[in-house]
Amino acid sequence: MRLRRVFIFAPLAIAGLVPLVRPSVPELTAAQKAEPAFKTDGVAFLKKHCLSCHSGAKAKADLALDKYADEAALLKDRKVWQRVIDTIKGGEMPPQGRPQPTAGESDAFLKVVGDVFEKHDRNAKPDPGRVTMRRLNRNEYNNTVRDLVGVDFNPAEDFPSDDVGHGFDNIGDVLTLPPVLLERYLAAAETIMNRAVTPTPPPVTARWQGAWFTEPAGPKVPTRNNWRIVSVGKDDPTSTGPVHTPVKVPDNGNGDFVLRARVYAETNGKKPVKIALLACCDKNAPGVASDEDVKQLSGAAVAALRPFKIVSIEEVTGRTEKDAKEIRTKFGPTPGLHRTAVALVKPADGEPEPKLYVQFMSLDGPLDSRPNTHKQLLKCDESKPVAERSREVLERFASRAYRRPVTKAELDRLLKLADAQLKAGDKAGAAATGKWEAAMQFAMTAVLVSPKFLFRVELDDRPDSAESHPIDEYQLASRLSYFLWASMPDQELFDLAAKKQLTANLDAQVKRMLRDPRANALVDNFVMQWLQLQPLKNAQPDPKKFPQFNEQLRAAMITETKLLFGEIVREDRKVLDVLNADFTYVNATLARHYGLMSGPNAPRFKNNEEFVRVDLKGTNRGGVLTQASVLTVTSNPGRTSPVKRGRYVLEQLLGTPPPPPPPNVPELEKDGKPVNAGTLRQQMEAHRANPACANCHAKMDGLGFGLENFDALGGFRTQDGNAPIDSSGELPGNIKFSGATELKGVLLGKKELFARCLTEKLMTYALGRGLEFYDRRAVDAVTAGLAKSDYKFSALVTEIVKSDPFRMRRGKSQ
Amino acid sequence: MSRTPISRRTALKGLGVSLALPWLEAMGPSTAWGAGADTKNPAPNRVCFLYVPNGKNMADWTPKAEGKGFDLPAILEPLKPVRENVLVLTGLTADKARAHGDGGGDHARALGAFLTGSQPKKTDGTDIRAGISVDQVAAARLADKTRLPSLELGGEQGAMAGNCDSGYSCVYSSTMSWRSATQPLPKEVSPKVVFERLFATKPPAERAAQDAKRKSVLDFVREDSKELGAKLGAGDKRKLDEYLSAVRDIELRIARAETLPPVKTPDYAVPATVPAKYDEHVGMMYDLIALAFQTDVTRVVTFVLANEGSNKTYPMVGVTEAHHELSHHDNKPEKKAKIRDINKFHTTQLARFLQKLAGIKEGDGTLLDHAMVAYGSGNSDGNAHNHDDLPILLAGGGCGTLKPGRHVRYPKETPLNNLWLSMLDRMDLRVTALGDGTGKLSGLS
Repeated sequence: MRLRRVFIFAPLAIAGLVPLVRPSVPELTAAQKAEPAFKTDGVAFLKKHCLSCHSGAKAKADLALDKYADEAALLKDRKVWQRVIDTIKGGEMPPQGRPQPTAGESDAFLKVVGDVFEKHDRNAKPDPGRVTMRRLNRNEYNNTVRDLVGVDFNPAEDFPSDDVGHGFDNIGDVLTLPPVLLERYLAAAETIMNRAVTPTPPPVTARWQGAWFTEPAGPKVPTRNNWRIVSVGKDDPTSTGPVHTPVKVPDNGNGDFVLRARVYAETNGKKPVKIALLACCDKNAPGVASDEDVKQLSGAAVAALRPFKIVSIEEVTGRTEKDAKEIRTKFGPTPGLHRTAVALVKPADGEPEPKLYVQFMSLDGPLDSRPNTHKQLLKCDESKPVAERSREVLERFASRAYRRPVTKAELDRLLKLADAQLKAGDKAGAAATGKWEAAMQFAMTAVLVSPKFLFRVELDDRPDSAESHPIDEYQLASRLSYFLWASMPDQELFDLAAKKQLTANLDAQVKRMLRDPRANALVDNFVMQWLQLQPLKNAQPDPKKFPQFNEQLRAAMITETKLLFGEIVREDRKVLDVLNADFTYVNATLARHYGLMSGPNAPRFKNNEEFVRVDLKGTNRGGVLTQASVLTVTSNPGRTSPVKRGRYVLEQLLGTPPPPPPPNVPELEKDGKPVNAGTLRQQMEAHRANPACANCHAKMDGLGFGLENFDALGGFRTQDGNAPIDSSGELPGNIKFSGATELKGVLLGKKELFARCLTEKLMTYALGRGLEFYDRRAVDAVTAGLAKSDYKFSALVTEIVKSDPFRMRRGKSQ
Repeated sequence: MSRTPISRRTALKGLGVSLALPWLEAMGPSTAWGAGADTKNPAPNRVCFLYVPNGKNMADWTPKAEGKGFDLPAILEPLKPVRENVLVLTGLTADKARAHGDGGGDHARALGAFLTGSQPKKTDGTDIRAGISVDQVAAARLADKTRLPSLELGGEQGAMAGNCDSGYSCVYSSTMSWRSATQPLPKEVSPKVVFERLFATKPPAERAAQDAKRKSVLDFVREDSKELGAKLGAGDKRKLDEYLSAVRDIELRIARAETLPPVKTPDYAVPATVPAKYDEHVGMMYDLIALAFQTDVTRVVTFVLANEGSNKTYPMVGVTEAHHELSHHDNKPEKKAKIRDINKFHTTQLARFLQKLAGIKEGDGTLLDHAMVAYGSGNSDGNAHNHDDLPILLAGGGCGTLKPGRHVRYPKETPLNNLWLSMLDRMDLRVTALGDGTGKLSGLS
């Protein structure tokens, strides 16, 4: 290791110190020419330093460089050449033991190659690229159905899982639509519309409860002939009431209800006996009883029932069981309706105390038993003829489903389908009521199977034109909403698009959308995939070594990471918090796992589920690299894996992935014997003695060792078995550090790399396609903008949505 | 049929350990050939392709002796009860799983090339491509015979993160069936969903009404898609074509449902969610394959027991380490022993499945006599990632076209695709070229 570094870096150092003696033969030649040509100088370098291994059919690493004879050949294989540049730049090639080029030679060669690409990029037209139309993935489907139809259930659970490309599951090229999925779409559309629209309304539900079974309950409930007796007073709730019973209603108590009770009262008084019918509900519901209102009611249980609304106060006229009357009162929407009650009203001063007899209570409703979604989807001017009503309803629905105004031809076709269904209903002798509703339901089912709904179609008047041209405002609205919400645009976005005002208001809209709870989709989808946390859901740590692992801990790990990002998004924090936030969120399970439960600042929890924000200053944690979620997915079931962790940092955080291991890695051998002994670190160091592995492992292992204080579940440790943990690491370039905190310092020193990596990942997710070389300009601009705005998250999003690839497209003819 | 079908409760009891209960048989014949020997309606030949990932511990797999009296090394030992129904095929090669200049990614390529014999294109997402797979060749040709042309099953969801293997999209390491070179077919993991796809869960009249409605919805969407073409780019058009071909597929399926004899819905209880225990899950999927064949809902099935490169653990046989990690065993004996145990777990499940097929009487024989069950991996040794000398079994009688109960050794570099071509042959599907196949395999009958 150490030897090797001296070997590589010494020439560089000398070159830097003594620039005057630097000009070497190749560089002079290059400088003398007006344009250093790859054809001559570049190829000469290849011949001298590379081709002895990298040529022909048996080229090392399957990289044959002899086929690159001119600039055109180079431009065709940019990805290959990016690697070549990186390897030479990093001093990784030519390998140890081979004649090394002088620094001058290398620099000149890199300049020649770099110039080829730069010249090409400078002269190339800006190219926004083109996205293949994207099928809604499972998340997007669920969310879009929620926002379009208004029902919150997950029809997509039975869909086959979406394939992943470029690290994300929303890539147009990769999302296929096999027959089995279309079959599911059909079934899902039917289920969705069956739940959303009910052509034949179900009968009104009556929630009847015999007074015998009402609360407060107990062995001493006073009754007579199954009638429950309520007397005046405030001492014993069992005898003074109010009597009450829980109810379960749909739609959070929306709609009209009827509350009934059969009662009579015994009294010696002159004034009428009064009772109050109560509906327990949310404290913010309209008409909730005030302190003043409540004062008039009798019964020890009154206070405990609040908040409630007094539905009505009624006189009880019956005086015997035979004269008992059923009292019924209709009342309107009552958010949070969960319990009904009957209370005695306090008798007037001087009046004797009456006795109330209750036979039953019943809450009936909602009187309109059609679900809310039904009413909303089919809302129209009912005075108009059927044809016009259909047009109004379907135009609204299809325009939202297709995320743009529906055309006349489309609407006519849809109306024809609905009409045919109406006529079929006539033929089948369907009842007159509900026939139109069924036809609308059927047409909507068809909309949900249309490619215009299932795909995010971006119609283009010039699909073959290579010229860059902007997408229209409705398409921009969809790109925005699926990027930030993984769902369809809301009314505000649609309205702006209709007025062609969206482009002009991008900043404000981004800010608004990021504050919306729907922006959680960004955390649930983008962050989980970027940080590769999905596998955590199936991770199976070795139960012998980690008996403390259970489902609670697994769930808490994921939630912690989500909450950290939730705050970055919501509070518009710096993206660098990803690396070293000085706070996190833990519940009791995780706090124990992290050893945060002791000390004066130990967090307090109301229950096992609650997560609280904790300050991490002065602790050994902060940022995703010290979170149990990341530390667990980068471990093997039974032990840590510094290689995996190092690779994770390089790949997910710095955007400089190591190349894949060479095929058929030789077994770990030393002096002809397999290396089976020693600590993990010793084994790995032996591994690195193999030059085929050394280059990349020097980077990966070094980073990974810095995290060795965290075990395979992310618990802190200072010992591994009997051996003390050595968390020192070393990176090429003689960068030394020890422990996670210093490692994070090293990474923060590379924050441009991190910012660029995050930009690339988020752009891939936003665009739904892999990034290409022509996107370099846009990535540069976004990264620069992000740095200028102090790395604020909203700046990153705003820069992306304003970038050419996001707002523009070009045609592609093949 | 005179026997009373067994109840759901009894069927449920049959699950779990004693999966070999004859409950499938007890359901009675459900096809023309099910009742007894019938020369007018001979039982058709079925194919099933089973894939197990990460190679095998070959030393415990390959029998030393060839021919009939072959020995059963540790991994094959569970197949003892069905050894007379199994061909062990040694020496086959999946050449297209090799790098050929594409570098690492042996796991992705192993599955991508397994049934296709085509080199999977190295890409992380753009332009995914392999080749049509043998099952889909059969499915396309048999499409009008059964309600479903084919069934694609999995014991593990498609991988959910990033590129799965050295720059190859996860599609490759989780997909075995390719409808065309560019259209991978996702696998079905939930037994409940599979059951609902195979069998009507609605009364016939309701189902017919639903089909009629679906037909008019499909007419509508096809009509509605026509104007799109002119305003789409080339990539978009490909996606629309994919959509329209799915539309046609379902239309055909509905049309077939009208003409094909009705399928009896078996009294089989499926749980609402995927069973948490892997062995139960696998057992259930095997049951469903048997049911699908028995009721002739399809004649072509693929089943990926776990994704290639899978890191599943197998605590039921005492392996708590991840499978793929273990498969890089560095020739350490304790790791190799664990790999062997995983391999053995899978052959045990296979043996139960084969016994189940053998327990279902059909015409002049059993369902196993009328099937060809191919089983194996596109990796040979998990540590070396070699794609020659693959572990391959072929079970069943193939309607008298196979002579099982033998170990056959082929010359080095014999293409695996030659086996697939030979199987197509035995289904009376004359196909001359498939992937890198060069001809038919001798020695199978």
